[in-house]
Amino acid sequence: MKTPKSALLLVGSAKLAGESTSEALGAYLLQRLAEHGIATETRYVARAMRTEARIQELLQAVDRADLIVLAFPLYVDSLPYLATQALERIAAHRLAQPAPSPAALLAIANCGFPETRHTAPALEMCARFADQAGFAWAGGLGLGAGGVISGRSLAGLGGMAHNIAAALDLTADALAAGQPAPEDARDLMERPLLPANLYVWMGDIGWLAQARQYRALTRLAARPYGQG
Amino acid sequence: MKATILNGALPGDSFVDEAAASLQYRLHANGWAVTPWTLRQEKIAYCLGCFECWTKTPGVCRIDDAGRQVAASIIQSDLVIYLTPVTFGGYSSELKKVIDRSICLISPFFKRINGEVHHHARYRRYPAMIGVGVLPGTDPEQERIFHTLLARNAINMHAPMHDSLVIYRNQEAGSAAVALRGILESSGRVSV
Repeated sequence: MKTPKSALLLVGSAKLAGESTSEALGAYLLQRLAEHGIATETRYVARAMRTEARIQELLQAVDRADLIVLAFPLYVDSLPYLATQALERIAAHRLAQPAPSPAALLAIANCGFPETRHTAPALEMCARFADQAGFAWAGGLGLGAGGVISGRSLAGLGGMAHNIAAALDLTADALAAGQPAPEDARDLMERPLLPANLYVWMGDIGWLAQARQYRALTRLAARPYGQG
Repeated sequence: MKATILNGALPGDSFVDEAAASLQYRLHANGWAVTPWTLRQEKIAYCLGCFECWTKTPGVCRIDDAGRQVAASIIQSDLVIYLTPVTFGGYSSELKKVIDRSICLISPFFKRINGEVHHHARYRRYPAMIGVGVLPGTDPEQERIFHTLLARNAINMHAPMHDSLVIYRNQEAGSAAVALRGILESSGRVSV
C-alpha cells in the first residue's frame, strides 16, 4: 500500500444519500482521512449504476483515487445487488487496463443481526475482488447490530458509537500512513453496541411499530404465495 | 415435485446457460416440473431495502415486476437451484438481485438458530437449496467462500437441505454433466 493522497467512498446501499448506515460509517472515516490532508470524494451506487454514462463517471473516479472505501449493508449474507454489479464493472474495467492504478481497497460491512460474524463471507468476497481487480487489500471491518445506527451520523449517537468511532479513528491513522486497518480496529468494531437480547427485543418491537403505522399488524404472518 | 432454477448467467455466458439446460433436462427426465428463470432476460428491479415486504404488504414486495413471480416460484418449489458464475467467491449480480428480493419469503422477527440470530420462517415449508457455481478453473479460496455462502443462505432461507458444487469452464463437457447429475443424485433429488 502506498500513502494515499485521495480517497473515494463508495456507498453500497440502495438507500438515498444521507439515509444509510453505510454512508454514516464511511462519512466518518472520510472526515478523519480529510484531517490527514487526503482529498475525499463520495459516490453512491444507487445513483452511479443508473446509466452507462454514470457508470463511466464512477470508473473514472475509481481511477483517480489512491484509496477506495467500500461501505455496504449486508443483504442475505453478501453484498447487495448494486454493490455486486459495481464490483463486476470495476474489476472488468481494471482488468482491461495494461497497468491499473496501484490503489488500495478497504471494506466496511454492517449487518442487521447482532453478531458481526454474519459479515465474514461478504468481507472475504471484497478481499477476493481486491485481489482480482489489482487493488491492495487494506482490510475489512464488520459491524453487527447496524439497526442501532439506522443511518444517523456517529456524532449524534454519543457514547453508544464510541467503539465504532475509535475503530475508524485507528483505521484512518493507519490508512493515512499507507498501512492496512489494524487488528485493534477490527476488534473495536466487533464489540457489541448493546446486548444481543436487548437488540433483538428492540428490533421486534420496531417491526411491530412499523406494521402498526401501516395498519398491517393483522397481516404480518401472511403467506401470499400459498401454504395456507 | 417442483424445481426452480435461477440462472444468474451474465450476457454471453453460454457455458452457464448450457449448465442450466443440463440441470433442467435431468430433473425433467426424472419427473420434475421445472421452472427455469434466465434472470438477465427478466425485467426485475433491485431491492430498495425499504422492508415494506415485512411491515406494509407482508410477504409481497412493493415492486410489481417479475421479482414477485420469482419469489412465488421459489416458495412453491421443493428445490431451488442457484446457478451462477462465481463472482469474487459469491453470486453474479443477476442472481444476487433476485436473492435480495426474496426476503419477502421470511419474517422480520428474530429467532436464534444454532446460537446465532436469524429471521423466523414465514412459510411452513421451504425448498431444498443447491448452489452450482462456475469458475474458469480451480480456485480453492473462491470455492470455499462459495460453499460457505450457500450454507449461510440455507440457514437464513430455512432450507431443509442444501448442497453446493463448483464446475469449471476448462472442464470436459462430459465430466461437468456428470458432476451436475452427481449433485442432484447425492442430494436425493434425482435417481438415475
